[in-house]
Amino acid sequence: MAERGGERGGERGGFGRGFGRGGRGDRGGRRGGRRGPRQEEEKWVPVTKLGRLVKEGRINKIEEIYLHSLPVKEHQIVETIVPGLKDEVMKITPVQKQTRAGQRTRFKAFVVVGDGDGHVGLGVKCAKEVATAIRGAIILAKLSVVPVRRGYWGNKIGPPHTVPCKVTGKCGSVTVRMVPAPRGSGIVAARVPKKVLQFAGIEDVFTSSRGSTKTLGNFVKATFDCLMKTYGFLTPEFWTQTNFSMTPFQQFTDLLGKPTKGLVLEAPTETVEA
Amino acid sequence: MAEEVHLGLPGPWAADYREKADHYTTKIGGVPDWPTVDMGIKPETLQCSLCGTKLCLVAQVHAPVAKLNIEERIIYVLVCSTPQCGPKPQSWKVLRVQKCRNVMQTEGGGDELGQSNGPPSTSVPEEQNDKNKIPEIDDDDFDLDALAEALEQAATLASNSKKKNKSKHANAPVKCPVLKEQACDPSIPVLPCFYIYYDKELFGGKGTVGSSSSELVLDKEIMDTANDEEEKWEGEKYEYDKAIGADRTFLKFKKRLDAYPQQCFRYSYGGKPLMATTKLQDPGTCRLCGSPRHYELQLMSPLSYFLHEAGDGSSNYAPSSWTWLTVIIYTCSKNCCLSSCGGNPQSCCWGVAEEEILIQEDEVR
Repeated sequence: MAERGGERGGERGGFGRGFGRGGRGDRGGRRGGRRGPRQEEEKWVPVTKLGRLVKEGRINKIEEIYLHSLPVKEHQIVETIVPGLKDEVMKITPVQKQTRAGQRTRFKAFVVVGDGDGHVGLGVKCAKEVATAIRGAIILAKLSVVPVRRGYWGNKIGPPHTVPCKVTGKCGSVTVRMVPAPRGSGIVAARVPKKVLQFAGIEDVFTSSRGSTKTLGNFVKATFDCLMKTYGFLTPEFWTQTNFSMTPFQQFTDLLGKPTKGLVLEAPTETVEA
Repeated sequence: MAEEVHLGLPGPWAADYREKADHYTTKIGGVPDWPTVDMGIKPETLQCSLCGTKLCLVAQVHAPVAKLNIEERIIYVLVCSTPQCGPKPQSWKVLRVQKCRNVMQTEGGGDELGQSNGPPSTSVPEEQNDKNKIPEIDDDDFDLDALAEALEQAATLASNSKKKNKSKHANAPVKCPVLKEQACDPSIPVLPCFYIYYDKELFGGKGTVGSSSSELVLDKEIMDTANDEEEKWEGEKYEYDKAIGADRTFLKFKKRLDAYPQQCFRYSYGGKPLMATTKLQDPGTCRLCGSPRHYELQLMSPLSYFLHEAGDGSSNYAPSSWTWLTVIIYTCSKNCCLSSCGGNPQSCCWGVAEEEILIQEDEVR
């Protein structure tokens, strides 16, 4: 067990020798240098009502946003509410288009963000310059942060460590299937989806994939789709009657707020949530 | 097709929310400064069409049109102050007040330009900015004695200074050293007032605003390591931006907002509005002359955020219930004027016209 843990950590460090590690370090330096001259970037002026509530501190956890399925339109919301969000550039590929005057090359950046504890996001952005693509992809990744449900393989001892059930996700021709694994198995997956699963905070899982996994863009998106589905799977813990609660908009206005059109569910407190 | 867009950025707060300025001032909130005392505006125009309460001023924009030689032209955006009427578009009203053209030619109002804060379409805005950054000392009877007296009195305006500390303005809030007169009518509801200065929008568009040297190093490193990778990411094509909660239109809207995060309104006479959602109703035609309407300016969400922050948190405060992303204002493309003056060149003849307003809301579903 101990050497497996060490192996996982070592592999993560080893993988990082590529541009991933360099990218993270460089990006930190670049961000620090960029903040100096433009102080206005620090102050976030919220655009949406939800942003205003988050800035005032009325909403403390991102789970309250997920509970009411409120669309998150500003990436600063996620930055404020989810502490410890790390990002990593998975790949930057050139994408070419044939024009009369030759080829036009743009760069496509894949960025995964996550806190390693149940929240993960994936962003894909095409732009003419690499830096723009990376910046845009980080923003899109933060906008698409989703919760990941973790469960147990067998005995419910300790914190949840694996997916709660067998789930499968699909994008293009690639399907990824995740199967619960006993503690200590580690993430048994190809290098690319393994990164996404590490950011999600899943410790042990068996995966199986099908389709043209050479198209790694689809492979990554299929893994992300699979993670999104973990909370969509109805298990007996959710059989109890739901107690509907007010959306934050209704809660924080003194007068009648806008009626919400969808279901408002209260998540049952359960031990599978970390 | 690069049209110039002028942004209204927040300037200093007013020392007193009810203080009077002149009709050349561009400001948010406060009391509307009509050009003459007797405007001939029917009282129903200044009342909410839904509940009948008096409307309060959201924005007063001095908007001369240089191409048509109209210098005296102001746009007033009014809203009902009750929170229940807030979400409904009928509670908003836009009035365009301008001097009729036949009177303009006899007067020749060129010397009044020195005080104007509006965005002329052709002139250079830098000098306007310099004038606007000075706190509002554009009274003709300004003198040093009044300044000294007012500076002593400024120390006693403690309640207003607390509000200024809460404001998130780019400029340090500057207290007006000259005390202004109070507005005559105390029954009009009033929103917190601050003044506006203009800036031209520098938007790189599809290109970036320049990359630093460290970014260039990163580019090279990525392209080098890309060749070392054992896997090839194949078959990638261009992909449009996609997020779970936001569509492409909103992402583009947010990108332009992030370039100038404090913009309170955008002004572009006859230009294209910046949409936040894809659906937009037809603005229709002018009520007076029947000519088509075109876009002139739009209010942006930081404005409602600033007003919300300046409020005292009471439940009766309208901006706290606003959820719009942007309010787009369309005006008559011919700038028609109601000729009710009868051609008399001596009297000042101001035409008031009601214009169209379209609200783009933040949809939760």
